[in-house]
Amino acid sequence: MQRALSIRNVYTAYGKADVLSGVDIEILPKKITCLLGSNGAGKSTLIRSILGLTPPREGEIIFEGLPISGHPTHSVVAKGIACIPEGRRVFPKMTVKDNLLMGAYLESSEKKIKMNMGKVFEIFPRLEERQEQLAGTMSGGEQAMVSIGRGLMSSPKLLIIDEPSLGLSPALVSENFRIIRKINDAGTAVFLVEQNVRQTLAISHYGYVLSQGRVTAQGTAEELKTSDEVQQAYFG
Amino acid sequence: MDISLLAQFTVNGLMLGMMYALVAVGFTLFFGVLDIIVFSHGDVVMVGAFAALTGHYWLTGIYPDMSMWVELFFISCISIITVAAFGMIMAKTMILRLRSASPLNTLLATMMLGTVLREAVRLFFPGGSNPKPFPVLLPDISASFGDFTLRFDSVILFVLGALLIVSLHLLITKTKLGMAIRAVAQDEETARLMGVNFTLIVLITFAIGSAVAAFAGVMNGLYYNEINFGMGLLLGAIGFSAAIIGGLGNIYGAILGGFLFAGLQTLGAVAMPFASAYKDVFAFGVVILIMAWKPTGLIAEKTSERV
Repeated sequence: MQRALSIRNVYTAYGKADVLSGVDIEILPKKITCLLGSNGAGKSTLIRSILGLTPPREGEIIFEGLPISGHPTHSVVAKGIACIPEGRRVFPKMTVKDNLLMGAYLESSEKKIKMNMGKVFEIFPRLEERQEQLAGTMSGGEQAMVSIGRGLMSSPKLLIIDEPSLGLSPALVSENFRIIRKINDAGTAVFLVEQNVRQTLAISHYGYVLSQGRVTAQGTAEELKTSDEVQQAYFG
Repeated sequence: MDISLLAQFTVNGLMLGMMYALVAVGFTLFFGVLDIIVFSHGDVVMVGAFAALTGHYWLTGIYPDMSMWVELFFISCISIITVAAFGMIMAKTMILRLRSASPLNTLLATMMLGTVLREAVRLFFPGGSNPKPFPVLLPDISASFGDFTLRFDSVILFVLGALLIVSLHLLITKTKLGMAIRAVAQDEETARLMGVNFTLIVLITFAIGSAVAAFAGVMNGLYYNEINFGMGLLLGAIGFSAAIIGGLGNIYGAILGGFLFAGLQTLGAVAMPFASAYKDVFAFGVVILIMAWKPTGLIAEKTSERV
């Protein structure tokens, strides 16, 4: 089977305490792979490990056949991985346009940047109207648009999305999931990390459940929906 | 008061303000990217002046007949490049290493570094414990309007300083490098997620801040025609105060703060002609009042863009 990103036997620790203890995950190209887990399961740590913000102390992370574990964040990103971080994290004192341009920081072709910005404006027409507004003065929903748009500006091969539903109204959450589906339809592999089980499984192809730093269940979205593990943990 | 005297005070105040602004910009840049205070920054200004003086000794030894302008250009370059390199080395070997500790440790370490720089110049520079004459490299022309004398060299220095500030502004607001510096200042981790090489941006920021300080040092030497190993101490305190009252992290605030401080000093000298030695006491006193009145600086963080 072909893979976009392989996480093999990864252990990551803060200080001496292991947060991840031997995680194995395969992210499929052109598919949505999701990672479910409750607070403190290690989801964010796994993302930090992939991106080189908190390098794993053991194990391998392989992107398109090349090891990336232990590489500095900027070189991981340069290989074609983008991240829409938890809590949106827009640059508050930059305009919407500058935020988007930051997303294309490693892209040198002006033409490509313009093209990608056009695509982002097509998905979020509101951002085009608000280009010159400081991102910090926007509503939560609008900031989510900026953050997603920024993640698309580098036309990544793999998009990691960390808790996109956090702090948004149910209507906006549905809208975001619809957009994630659309991004994936255009060919981008998505690694979706979420607590919102129902909606996540509804758009994912394959999924993993992380609990206390270990993968406790995996399977296709259909399998997970009916799995005892997930049923017990999330649906009671 | 006599109008020509007032003009004289204004011009002197503007000159001082420019020097302070250039020093304050460094404090605010470093705080912007790393949230730290680099206390040795004033002494880096002094090192810039001494680097230029060393360049002067060296160049006039090789080419005694060099024209003033050419020499000015070269010793400025020598000073700026040396000090920029020094800033990068300091950031790499000391400041980035101290990141995992409390910012107070950086404050203390850079305070000690300042002492090391001061004492090193005093002990190792030939005759370093005495004030050193700085070469006159600008034409000694002046225009007099009654009692008011406008020195041509002051005008040139002011214009050069203003050009430097404008270039810095353009660099920060219009270039990709400037955007990366702003991104790191606003959210370091997210900037890294966008592909910004954090370490490189920090090093470049320290090179820029230190280079601007070096220029302030050269300017100081040319303006007073004398430099000494302790000159950075007061300049550092003033630059730091200027950055604080302007709102730490905000470049325009730092520039405003620099001119404001010079204005206060001048006001102190004008208002108390019987005790002009107290002008610093007056200026720092007012700074304390401003800090009590606007604890986050005159340009509040909310409405302004940090770095």
